[in-house]
Amino acid sequence: RMSLKGAVNSIRVGVEGMTCNSCVQSIEQKIGSLQGVHNIQVSLELKEATVIFDPGLQSPDSLREAIDDMGFEGSISE
Amino acid sequence: HEFFVDMTCEGCSGAVTRVLNKLGVKFDIDLPNKKVFIESEQSVEVLIETLKKTGKTVTYIGPK
Repeated sequence: RMSLKGAVNSIRVGVEGMTCNSCVQSIEQKIGSLQGVHNIQVSLELKEATVIFDPGLQSPDSLREAIDDMGFEGSISE
Repeated sequence: HEFFVDMTCEGCSGAVTRVLNKLGVKFDIDLPNKKVFIESEQSVEVLIETLKKTGKTVTYIGPK
C-alpha cells in the first residue's frame, strides 16, 4: 500500500539495541540527515522510529538498512 | 590501533560491536574510558569511517 502519489510517506521501524538517550539522539541525527527524510521521531520505550520520508528518495528497506548500518537492528513492522 | 569513541552506554558500545563485527576485525571496547582498541590490517581511515557509522564522535589516538 505504498502510496507514491503524495510526496510523503511515513513508516514505523523497530529499532533493537538502543538503551539510552544518546543512542536515540545519534539515530535521529544520522537518519534525520539522510536525503529524502523529512522527519524522524525515535521512541526508546517503544523501541521504534517513526520516519516521515519522500518515497521517491527513500524506502522502508533503505531506511532499515541505514539503521543496520549504524549498528542497531532495524525491522519493518508492516 | 586505539580510538576514542564517545560511547555513553551499553547500547552505544553494542552498536560499535555490531559495526566492527560486520567489518570482521579483532577489537576490544573499554566503555568507561570510551576507548576502542582494534587489531587490523585495515587502514586507519577505514576504521574511523566504520566507527563513525554509529553516529558517535570518533578520534584516532594512536597505533597501540
